[in-house]
Order: sequence, then C-alpha cells, then structure tokens
Amino acid sequence: MSEQAIVGTNAPRVDVRDKVTGQAQYAADVRLPGMLYGKVVRCWEHAHARVKRLDLSAAAASPGVVRVLGPKDVTPKRYNSSVLDLMVSESMHDMLGDIDDQPIFTEHVKFQGDAICGIIARSEEAAERAAAKVVVEYEPLPVYLTAEAAKAPGAVQFTPEKPGNRAFQLPEAMFPNNALGGGDVEAAMREADIVVEDAFYVPKQKQCQMEPHAYVAKVDSGGRLTCWTSSQMPKLVQRKLAKLFDLPMNLVKIVPTVIGGGFGTRLGMISEPQACAMALAVPGHPVKLQTLREEDWVISPSRHPGKYWMRIGFKRDGSPLACDARFENYKGGYYLDASGTAFTAGAWLGGMYRFPALRYRGESYFTNQGLTGAYRGYGNPQTNFVLEQLIDRACAGLGADPVEWRKKWHKGVGDDGWCPGVTYPSCALDECLDRGAAAIGWTEKRRKYARQTGTLRRGVGVAVMNHTSGAMPMLLEHTACTVKLNEDATAEILFACSDMGQGSHTALKQIAAETLGFPFEHVQLSGGTSDVAGFDIGAHASRTIYVGGAAVKKACEEVRRQLCERASLQLGVPAEQLDIRDKRIFVQADPARGIDAEAITRAGVYHFVDPATGEPGGVPGQIQGYVSFFAPHNSPPFGASFAEVEVDTETGEVRVLELVNAHDIGRAINPAAVEGQLEGGIQQGLGFVLSEEICYDADGRVQNNSFTDYKMFGPEDMPKITTILVEDADPIGPFGAKSVGESGLVSPVGAVANAIFHAIGIQFTEAPITPEKVLKGIRETGVRDYGSIGGGR
Amino acid sequence: MKNRDITLHINGEEYRLNVAVNRTLLDVLRDELGMTETKYGCGTGECGACTVLVEDKAVNSCLTLAATMDGKRITTVAGLADFGRLDHIQQAFVDEAAIQCGYCTPGMVMKTASLLAQNPDPSEAEIRHALEGNICRCTGYEKIVKAVRKAAETMPGRAAAVEPCKEVVQ
Amino acid sequence: MSSRILPDFDLLLPQSIPDAVELLSAHRDRITVMAGGTDVMVAMKFAQSPAQLPDYVMSLENVPGLAYVLFDPERGLRIGAKATVADLLAQSEVKRHYRALWHAAQTFATGQVRNTATVLGNLLRASPAGDCSCAIYAIGGVVVLHGTSGRREVDIDDFWLSYGVTARRPDELAVELILPLPAAGSRSAFKRMTRTSEDLAKLNVAVRLEMSGNTCVDARLAMGCVAPTPLRLTRTEALLKGRELTAEVLQRVAASVPWEISPIDDKRSTAEYRKQVSGVLLKRAIQEACGAA
Repeated sequence: MSEQAIVGTNAPRVDVRDKVTGQAQYAADVRLPGMLYGKVVRCWEHAHARVKRLDLSAAAASPGVVRVLGPKDVTPKRYNSSVLDLMVSESMHDMLGDIDDQPIFTEHVKFQGDAICGIIARSEEAAERAAAKVVVEYEPLPVYLTAEAAKAPGAVQFTPEKPGNRAFQLPEAMFPNNALGGGDVEAAMREADIVVEDAFYVPKQKQCQMEPHAYVAKVDSGGRLTCWTSSQMPKLVQRKLAKLFDLPMNLVKIVPTVIGGGFGTRLGMISEPQACAMALAVPGHPVKLQTLREEDWVISPSRHPGKYWMRIGFKRDGSPLACDARFENYKGGYYLDASGTAFTAGAWLGGMYRFPALRYRGESYFTNQGLTGAYRGYGNPQTNFVLEQLIDRACAGLGADPVEWRKKWHKGVGDDGWCPGVTYPSCALDECLDRGAAAIGWTEKRRKYARQTGTLRRGVGVAVMNHTSGAMPMLLEHTACTVKLNEDATAEILFACSDMGQGSHTALKQIAAETLGFPFEHVQLSGGTSDVAGFDIGAHASRTIYVGGAAVKKACEEVRRQLCERASLQLGVPAEQLDIRDKRIFVQADPARGIDAEAITRAGVYHFVDPATGEPGGVPGQIQGYVSFFAPHNSPPFGASFAEVEVDTETGEVRVLELVNAHDIGRAINPAAVEGQLEGGIQQGLGFVLSEEICYDADGRVQNNSFTDYKMFGPEDMPKITTILVEDADPIGPFGAKSVGESGLVSPVGAVANAIFHAIGIQFTEAPITPEKVLKGIRETGVRDYGSIGGGR
Repeated sequence: MKNRDITLHINGEEYRLNVAVNRTLLDVLRDELGMTETKYGCGTGECGACTVLVEDKAVNSCLTLAATMDGKRITTVAGLADFGRLDHIQQAFVDEAAIQCGYCTPGMVMKTASLLAQNPDPSEAEIRHALEGNICRCTGYEKIVKAVRKAAETMPGRAAAVEPCKEVVQ
Repeated sequence: MSSRILPDFDLLLPQSIPDAVELLSAHRDRITVMAGGTDVMVAMKFAQSPAQLPDYVMSLENVPGLAYVLFDPERGLRIGAKATVADLLAQSEVKRHYRALWHAAQTFATGQVRNTATVLGNLLRASPAGDCSCAIYAIGGVVVLHGTSGRREVDIDDFWLSYGVTARRPDELAVELILPLPAAGSRSAFKRMTRTSEDLAKLNVAVRLEMSGNTCVDARLAMGCVAPTPLRLTRTEALLKGRELTAEVLQRVAASVPWEISPIDDKRSTAEYRKQVSGVLLKRAIQEACGAA
C-alpha cells in the first residue's frame, strides 16, 4: 500500500457525539421494564472481623423488599475477580498460585467494605432503607495493614492456601532463587566504585474513574443470564460468571456498556457476581446495582502500595554493574492480581537499563487494606519512582549528566525487553530525550538552577520508561475480529475489545478503512455483545491498538484479498497487481482500469443468473474476513519526561511549572487521541508523585474515600504541558504503531522527583512527596544547591 | 410536608411533578424523568458530573433539593443540541478532542455554558479556575481548556460580545 | 453508611422571617435550616446515626428579600442570609473594600458551590476551616439574629463557641451579616494553603491592618484550621500594633504564631506542619495586604 490517507489523521471520534449530547448509555443509565434495585450491605465498621450473627428478618419485612440474600442464599462457590488465571496456561496457573478466594457474601470480613448480604427491592430507596435494618454482629479480628504485620508469627491466616499470609512470590520454578534477572549481583557489587541504595515507599493510588461501578443483570425465561457491565474484559467476565454460577457460556450474555473511565479498575469483575446472584434470585426481573462513590472506592482494587528497596552499583566511568531490588507490596484481603504487579514491577526494571547483573524479588502479602489490582502502569510508576531517583543520585555522585547517562545506558533495539528472549524491535528513546531536553531548555536550566538563592528554588528533572504493547509472551494475547462487507461495499466490523474512552475504536476504524481502501465513514466498528462478538482477552496491557489493531488489519487484509481476487477475474490482472482506494479496485500500473468494489459486493449478495445469457453475474457469496489472532511479538514503547518545578523552601510546597512528555509511540494512528492519552497520563502521574494516596486509620478504615479528601490535580494545578510524539515506525506493529494507553503516566513520576532533587538537593523516598515531607526534609538536611552535591553539574 | 407539587421548566418543557421532598434534583431528573444525560459521580458536590443550569447558573444537582426548585428553569446537556445539531460548546468539545470516556462531559459542557454566559471571553487562567469543580480523570484538562476557549471564540453573535474581561485570577 | 438517597424528613417552607422564627421555636433542635444547602445536604447524606438527622428541614426558599449584598459607603456591607458566595463576588465594592473576603470568596470551593452556598451558611457551619469565616473574622462584623424575643446582634468575635456550635439560639434565624466600613488606611488580605487548588484549607489566614504610612495602627489577625473554631491571634496582633512593619517585626510576628495555635493532625495536614508554616503564611498575608494597598 502506498501513502496513508486515514491512518495518522485526527479522524473524528466515533463515540463523542453521543457523549456530548448525553445520549451515551453508561450502565447506570440502563432502564428496563420491571426493573428491581439491588443493594449490597457492606461492612463499614471493621476491616477484619468474623460475622457472628446475621439477622435479615427486619430487612426482609421492610416495605418494598422483594428478596434478601445472605451467604447461604447464593452459590457457595468462590471466585477471583481478577482474570490473570484465564490468561496463563493451566500449568503456569498452578505455578503462579492463583486462587479463588472471594465469596459473593462473606462471613469473614477481610477489608472494609466486604460484602455481607444483598437486598432486592422495588426502588433504590426501599433497598437502602432495608439495608439499614440488617443486623450484623461482628467479632473483630486483629487488623494487619502492612506486610510486616501480616507475616508476623501468630497472625490470623487469610486463607489456608497461603501460609504466612504471603499471597505471592516469584515462583522458584520459573525464577531461580525467587528472583528475576541474571548474573552474579553480589560479585558485581563488589566491583562497584559507587553504590546507591535506599528503601522507598510507594503509595496506594485510586483510579478515580468518573463513572462509579454500576450493573444491570437479568435472567430471561430461557434461563439465560444477561449482565450489562462496563468491564474492560467482557469476554473474560462471561467465562468467569459462567464458571461461578455453573452455567454454560451460551447462557451467560454480557452487554458491554459505555465505559466511564477504566484505568484498570474494570479489569475483570467487581460487583458482577453480586448483581448476577441477585438476578438469579428473581428470574424475569432485571436488577440494577449501582455503587455510591464511597462504595466504589472501597470495593474496587487500587494500585499496589508497599516497600521498595533498591541498590545499584556503578563503575567510576558511569557504567552500571548491578541492580538489586525487592518490592514487597501490600495486597488487600483477597488474592486477585497478587502475581501481576509483583512480577511486572521487576519486568519494567529489567527492561530499562543494561545492567550486567540484575536481581529483583517481588512479593505480595495479604493485608486488611482495600483490594489491590490493576491500575494503569501496573507496577511501572512504582519502579519509576525508585529507579529513576537512584539513577539521578548516582549521576550526581558520578558528575554525569542525567540525560547523557540515560542515553548511554538505556536498552534499545536488539536488547531483551521486559521479558528475556523478546527483544526490542524498535526504540526511539534517544530522540525522545533529545527533543524533550530541547523543549524544556535542559542544558541551560540545569546549569542555571544548580546555584540558586532565595525562598523559591527551581529545578528540572528527567526520567525515562519502557512499557509494553500487549502482554505477550507472559499472558494470552488473543483477539478475534470479523469484517463483513455489506452489498453496498460498506464494512461492518465486530471486535470485542472495549473502548474505554481512549479512542481505540476510532483508531481501529482508521486502521480498517486504510487497509480496506474504504472511506472512514463507510466502516462501522462495534464491540458487540458476547453472544455475537468473537473472543478477545480485553482492554488491558496497552494492547488494543498494537494487538487489536493488528487483528483488525489482518481481517481487513483478508477481505481485501477476496475483493481483489474477484476483481482480478473481471479485470484479467493478477490480484497482487491490484490496489484499492476509495472503494475502487484498480490496476496499480494503470489506475484508469478498475472496478468499483460495490459492483463486486452487490453481485456477491444479490447473485442472479442473467436470464438472457444464462451466465452468473459475478462471484457469489458475501465477503467476510475473520481472524483469530495471536500476537507474534511485543514492541514496547519508550518515553522520556522532563519536569520543571518550583519549591517553596519556607512551606515545602511544590509547583510543577512545565511537563514535557516525549513518547516513542512508533506511529500515531490518531495523533489527537495519542496526545490525549499522554496528557491524561501526566495528570495521574503527577498525582502519584505529589498528591494522591489512600490512607487508612489503625483499624483499617479508609480515611479518604471521597474527592473531598483524596486530592487529584485539577485544571489549575496542571502545569504547562508539551507533548512530543516521536514517530519511528515499529517494524511489527500495525502501520508501525506501538502502545500508548498506560505509559504516559509513568515517567512524569521520576521526572518530578528528580526536578525536586535538582531544586533543593534532597531526594524523597516516600511518595507522594507532600509539602509536609518536603519541609521536614528541608528542616533536617537544609536546602542544598545541586551544584554542591557530589561532582554534580 | 413530605411531598410537594412543583413545576420545573426543563430544556424548554414544562413538567408538573409531585416529588418527595428528600429527592435531589439529580434523583428526579435521572430516576423519575429518565433524563439520564446528567450523571452521578460523587454525591458530594466535588466532581461536577451532575452539573446543570438553574436559571443559567451552574449548580450541582446532587446537592439541590428538587422540592425547592419550584418554577425554576433548568437546562441539562440534552437541552443544548437542536435535534442533532450540536451547539457551539458541544461542537468545540468534539473538535478539540476534549472528550475521552465522556462521563464528565455533560457537566463540563454545562459548566462552560455557565462560564461563557458570565464571561464571554475568558482567559486561560479564568477557564482553569472555572473548571475547578468539574473533575476529569482522562484528559489532564489540556484539551478541555482548549475546547472552552474555542467555544468562546465560536459563540454565536460573538462580534457583538461585551468588552473582553481579561482579569487574571490569582 | 452514607447514602445517595437522602433520609426522610419534613420540608418546611416559611413565607417570612417571623414564620421561620416560629417554626424554629416550635421544633428547636429537631430542625435544620437550609439556605444554599451545600453543607446540609452532605451532612444528611453522611450522617453516622439517626440522632444526627433532623426531622425537619426548613428551606428559606420562600422567605423574600434575603439575597442581598448591599454596600453603603456610610455604614459598610450588609450580606443577607440567602446571599450566595457568587452574589458576594458580583458586588463590585467587595473587592475594593474587603479584599480579604473577596479573595476568600474567589477561591471558595467550586463555581457550582459558590453559586449555591451562602456566606452566612459558611459562618453558621462553624468549621475552623471556613475560608469566608476566616476573612470575616479578620474584618470584624456582627451577625444579626431574629428570635422569639426579638432581634439581636452578635459580634463575630463572640459568634463561634466551639466546633460546629455558634451563639445562635435554637429559636433564632441568622438574617444578615454586617461588616463595618473599613477605616482609611485599612487593608486586608487572605491566604490559604491547600493540597490542590480546589480543596478545603489545611491552613488559612486573614489580616486586616490599619496602616499609617508603614506603621501598623491596628491589626486583626484570624487563622483557620488551628483550633476548634477560627482563631483570632490576639497576642500576635499586639506585636504589630503601633509598630513599623520592618523585617525584624515581621520576623517576630511570624515567630509568635505557633505559640498561639493548637492545630491537630487530620486528613489534610499535620499539627507539626501547620505550626511550622503558620508564621510564614501570616507574614505573607501581611506583606500582601501592605503591597495591595
């Protein structure tokens, strides 16, 4: 195919007219005849307790109540709301130790907000009034909020399958000595001239998607269970619900609703089991289950917090010798996603720099905090906060420029990516660093801010990152796509992977239109319900364009092949010498010779024999393309962020003045959408490093489950943003595209921390870096000119 | 009283309702009238997803008792488009790619309408100040700020707009 | 647990101030007054127990004539019970004569809340973090209350009794707030510290200075989030009065603040931090007031 007309343009987003007029239907907007309302009664008083007595009689007698459901009124089977168990082979499943430990309604409360029972009523108000009448007596249990507390001898065991409350550690069979990496770290460290080492704490961040979780579930007269949900993974939810309720998959239908923000929180299930258990109790009636914001907050998994220790050794010339790290994260009360982040935090570490020796150990411990699971970045911001600060600490000691050091030692084409054996097919990180440095005025500002006086001190900092494009080879990477041509040569595409608002369906439509040679407006793409759409693993791991786009492209290529073959019969030219543009199939060497695609598609559907000649009119059959696609590789994106900050040395307040995000995206299918991902990522990255953290009191009750008390960067807090799309086409990704969904938030974390270091000469080991911590640091060590630290410049 | 007869003028239509006094305006719009374009996001007046105009002023419908709105003129995002033709604010949000998940969008658009009614030519600082109170978790606000600016520039009858107000918010 | 559905209550809609006073008198502590409702609604949604819930909500919707913000160049500023924070900002004289209050109102909550929440409501909430309350405390003024035994004025200095408790008696309706006309040479400023721009204050401060040249003739200093109610820094005020505002005096003033306050650790900050920055914030407010003469 020659130059591209649609890929690379800001094609209009397919979903925005519905959204801007209020017509888009989110789950809470679904209204069905005869609808009942569900309410899950949750334990708000305790983070760890046993239910001694549950009395539902008053609630059952409350006006408008249809059913009350306790633990014994629903299936005794347990589930795992995460989906990692479906993404690995059975043998690996055992190795990773995934378990089903979540009951629909519990008698052992493991975190504040655990579900106790359910109410079904004729109105939401009636359900809430009845919920208030449920009587529960609890026997409080000791509350464990850290790994240290949970693994102490004598601690109450969360589940018999995980002795010592250790939910996960890197398995010996796969990672000798339970460590990821290779080489002799101890020996290498002995050779080091400079060793930097510290223990860090990384915070628990909330996705804060704007749409609180909501569901509708219904069992129809044929016994089919339908669930309206905004899960990022409708097909896996279908399988999980079928398993939980012992139904064949054809009797479980998922209707994906418009997703009001995901960021990982909708990866797998949240309250689908409760919603469906209620629907099963009242067949024929839809049940709507909506969560309150404060309820969503405690029941949906958040980013993994924990202790992160790291040490890195260098030769005097700056060459890195070894990196030794350990991340001990604090799970919530259930297993879900225990293996994921504990592994990936180390994978990103391994994928970043050319450490001759690396040893990363990752462990997850049950605690009575709220659940932890997938959150955009999935272990990467945690690693970025730690690794990138230690690199800058070393650079200060080595007298190395942080940009130059990174350019010299980052991994690139041909090096192993985050998974050994899967090499980087492309890397434009040097260009990211060069263009980002130029955009922020790196050289001049590094020099200028190295010596300062006064109350307000400025600094500039850099950080880099690598991420992933899909989860190959660690997890299943499978997507099905069907492309069908209507008789007027318009295309309808079925592709089950959700668009969470990032614009993926628009970009996929661009890929399809470009591949088919059809106008953008003549391609329709829909997610489809689970009974119609083919398999797709779901929207996670920044895979939708890289993997999904490749699947869509391949299915469209199949359609294109069929079109060209049929045209070839009429034109008398081999199919491979034909091209399609604007729905016209023509001879490459003689563009004037051609045939409209519509003539072929119409004849294929309305296939008649010419009564005069007795000859068939064209080739019969509707053209369809189908692919069941497995990603053959992984082309991770890289990124460099540059931050300029101003620190008020009297108050410790940090203002981010500018943030430059230069991103190695391969190819931007829809540049405005790509920018949107990076800009939104910055807001979440700045929150991670400066303002966001879920806090618990000593009893494990969340202290800030509202936007009043959990503070994200607002429009006035956001810095000047410069987004640089570095386009160096990847040889494997569709049209050269790599991923961008998660990675934008990662390196702003390290860049801001390093800018603070540059401004006041102090590094902070606990995120978020609040004014309280900054002022404490200043009072303890004093403000230091960066120019006076080590041999720094 | 536990219930009150009220009249609401919503998007140009008159609605005579008997509402329970403990219903918020958001409850009445969404649950009783089925006008689901206005969203519940937090219930505490922080996120602004439920923003509607009451007499041209942006308010959080989650913190407004419907029973106290008797006779009021209420505008939701569904009241802006004219049978599929977007108004200038909606069009600006579309053109500037200011919409991702879209859940905050109805509130953002209504907040913009309220801002531009008071200040037809807001500076970037004024736009950012006005948008505090509408949380977006997708966009980093960058393209939303641009969309508001574009909406100001494309406002019908802009040539006759009042003298620009350039005061910078501190 | 909290609920999106509000609890049951009876709505009362008095038509006049005497009507309202009568209802207050009849139902006393079982009644909550709603003007803007932004605080009342959240409090009802998040009430921990039925004891915290009112049986009656009295809306001032139909009480006429209370939405005014009137500036009288002879007597000062009158703010009616239904005047919203946005109404206050729309009154052009506020920015000129009561800069601290204007600034507090500017950054107060969000645009939607400013359009709904009332200035008097902020005083009546009696939160130590109220931004408008802090500014009004520094400016000074009286709250006008109407009760069964008639009208009375309570000086703002005597208005807040403890956390969430004011001098308003159960049968009284707060009708208006009157701020004095600033004397010549008077200037004021408001500053606050928050976690992000839109936030409740972790620390706020307002100053009103009567200046003669560079000499401070009189000073009122108010600080929030450092005690159960907004706090007057009277000892620190004494260090300012009659003094020329030199760097040394400002230094001494700043150093005095931590000794006058008793902040706590909470969700927004720590006691230690608040003490450490209290003097800095006050010093900056004084400097801003003088600079913005």
